[in-house]
Amino acid sequence: MKYAKTYHTLAKFGRELLEKKSLEEGLPLISKYAKDVIGAHRCSIFIYDLVAGEFWSTLADGVERITISADKGLVGFTLQEKKPIITNDPYSHPHFLATIDKETGFKTKSVVTAPIFSSKREILGVLQLLNKEGGFDNEDVKFMIFFAHYISGFLELTNVYLSKNREVKSTK
Amino acid sequence: MDKFNQIADFGKELASLETSENALLLIGEEAKRLVGADRCSLFIVDKEDAMLWTKLSDGMGRIVIGSDSGIVGDTYLKQKPQIVNKPYEDERFLPHIDKKSGYTTKNILTVPIFNSKHEVMGIIQLLNKSRSDFHSNDLETIAFLANYVSGSLELVLMLEQ
Repeated sequence: MKYAKTYHTLAKFGRELLEKKSLEEGLPLISKYAKDVIGAHRCSIFIYDLVAGEFWSTLADGVERITISADKGLVGFTLQEKKPIITNDPYSHPHFLATIDKETGFKTKSVVTAPIFSSKREILGVLQLLNKEGGFDNEDVKFMIFFAHYISGFLELTNVYLSKNREVKSTK
Repeated sequence: MDKFNQIADFGKELASLETSENALLLIGEEAKRLVGADRCSLFIVDKEDAMLWTKLSDGMGRIVIGSDSGIVGDTYLKQKPQIVNKPYEDERFLPHIDKKSGYTTKNILTVPIFNSKHEVMGIIQLLNKSRSDFHSNDLETIAFLANYVSGSLELVLMLEQ
């Protein structure tokens, strides 16, 4: 099992993460860790906004936000299926959005996603990794599922319960 | 202090602990404090032997029960939290544990803890909320706590195997 050693050092990452007081501080840490451990070129965490019907994600600084539609692409498909998606040939995947590559100039070669669930077992967000040398395999997916669950408590607490928008959201 | 800020502080403390025994003790104390309960036990699922055993037992010694017995067993089977405010009128309740320990159970809240595969790996049980019955908002708070600690718990259990 290629992740055996990783599990032994995961608690150290967990300690570092729980020191962070906000989602904005935690997201870059999670991205960097997932990217390094799984060996992917990019990692994005898409947070699901049920009210707006879209996902948002932050750029590398953890502050500036981008939004994507919740019913499109492999991230939208992950939300719909409530399961991880893995593809080492994204251009032939029916749900892959090739237009984003066109806009950004980035060439997506392989993708793995994992849904992140809340304590109510609803989807809080989607973890996505792009471009691993040699492609992603089932061991990577298994670790992603474990990792997505491992960070879900932090994400739920900081995004839902400690969010500054909480009052606004709950009074509608 | 707002209970979610309290949980964030608890998370930091939890993350700084090195052993699973200390971590479980802290989880139990936090659960009791959040809802004002007298006792907290944490049952771990042993799927192979169809047993539930206490990893943390608050003043009770180690308890092992069949995975289909008692209100904890029913929580495991139904995979849903249970509130029982009149245990002696509930046919699932196991009064012989009270008899043995000399403790009188007045009300019970149980919440399943799920692992990353959506299987129940443990159950948090709280006993005897002071001054009132358990309420649905206690359930929501403990369900959140259960999910909050579940990643650390899954990791600890996996590494101990």
